[in-house]
Amino acid sequence: MEKVAREYVVGTVEEFPVGSHKVVKVDNREIGVFNVNGEFYALPNLCPHQVGPLCQGKVSGTLVANKDTDWKRTWDREGEIVYCPWHRLEFDIKTGDCLAFPDIKIRSYNVKVEEGQIKVW
Amino acid sequence: MSKRDSLSDIVIVDLDVHVNDTPTELAPYMDMPWRKSLEHVSNVPWRYLSIPGYSPNFAENLPLWPGGNDRLTVETPAQMKKELSDMNIDIGILFPDHLLGVAVLPQKDYASALTRAYNAYIVDKWCDKEQGLKGLIMVAPQDPEGGAKEIEKYANEEGIVGIYLPCSGLDTLWGHVKYDPIFAAAEAAGLPVLLHAATTLVPHFPFNLHQYETFFAQHSLVHSFSMMANMLKMIETGVPVRFPKLKICFTEAGVSWVPFIMMRLDKEYVENRRDIPFLEHPPSHYIKKFYYATQPIEEPENAKHLIQLMEMYEGENTTMFASDWPHHDFDHPRKVFNMPFSPEVKRKIMGENALRFFDIDATGRRNKFKVGSTAK
Repeated sequence: MEKVAREYVVGTVEEFPVGSHKVVKVDNREIGVFNVNGEFYALPNLCPHQVGPLCQGKVSGTLVANKDTDWKRTWDREGEIVYCPWHRLEFDIKTGDCLAFPDIKIRSYNVKVEEGQIKVW
Repeated sequence: MSKRDSLSDIVIVDLDVHVNDTPTELAPYMDMPWRKSLEHVSNVPWRYLSIPGYSPNFAENLPLWPGGNDRLTVETPAQMKKELSDMNIDIGILFPDHLLGVAVLPQKDYASALTRAYNAYIVDKWCDKEQGLKGLIMVAPQDPEGGAKEIEKYANEEGIVGIYLPCSGLDTLWGHVKYDPIFAAAEAAGLPVLLHAATTLVPHFPFNLHQYETFFAQHSLVHSFSMMANMLKMIETGVPVRFPKLKICFTEAGVSWVPFIMMRLDKEYVENRRDIPFLEHPPSHYIKKFYYATQPIEEPENAKHLIQLMEMYEGENTTMFASDWPHHDFDHPRKVFNMPFSPEVKRKIMGENALRFFDIDATGRRNKFKVGSTAK
């Protein structure tokens, strides 16, 4: 998959407190930058479902139910899930995995912090 | 005739035939005091699938057809064997007829006793009395624990190959967690479950049927709506995830509703997956693993459209021929056989899929009882 050609400074650490996220513009791309418990992640602001602005959605947890929970719905993964504001399709911020469709994974951008600056590429 | 020859060349399993389970037939198998009730009802006049206190369907609001209603019944295994053989059918899966309506009976004890009587009757009078006549245990939705016990009781009965889940007039849909004991028992017994509806006018789903003023209209929707409603409930509560080895078949609704409900649920799933977090895949993943009986098979003007519908749910391994003999809307096997399937898919749909579904051989013998079988 094509990547952003070079590193872009998208803001300072102070602008992205823990639990926050926002959409930044890099060239003509919109990228969602997330601070999940001090780790930074970046995803395209584009939902593969109907090209909604995915990263403008809320960061949340999700309901989990399986054999381990005795099939009871439990709240889990708080702060690790973003869902599209258009149709609520959920994505794992850390991996880009779509929770509903195991075959769907969106790309992740590289992020690093250098001297207080957040760089994406 | 070459076509007839090719029909007789392959194994044909008929997923749905009906025995005439009258109150008189069942009375000897019925617990007291209800045996008395069945003896009394034998003297009451009744109509097709409508016997007071036994098989009430609440649909008696239409005029009798002025020409008179003919009704075919099958009274004995020998009669069934002959009539099926005349259609080149090798194995017939027996369903009740009047007790299709058992779910509408309000008294739990009575409904449960009726199903116990039917199970004893079908094993004693029908199953394996002629080669290829195989039965289903029926359970009363009114009594899930009692149903589970019946499944355990008959799990190793050679003549029994599955569990019939009554859907006609069902209030709480199959899939509700109160039925978990039935699904758990069926899965443990290695017996598949088969859902089957019939026309009835009840104040629950699909209640709007009372608005229709002809049998044409009432009968058009009731089976398909019932299958869709129960399937949706099963998906909603995660039955295919919670009981992964349980095989489930939807009968007597044709197949054209399957692509519709599959696409509808997948669409809904995009937005509302969070409501059903136990699903590991979109609903279509599970719907493609369910089984479907063909009758009443759609007869589109362009037969290829039926093939395309079945391709949508990848049905070549999960679709199984059913005739519904001796009912008014039965399908002769030739109708399905002559659809433009490949020879391989024809063999699957006419018989091979059903042999796998029931885990039986071409004579109807359950594989688990064969000498050398590793299964219990």
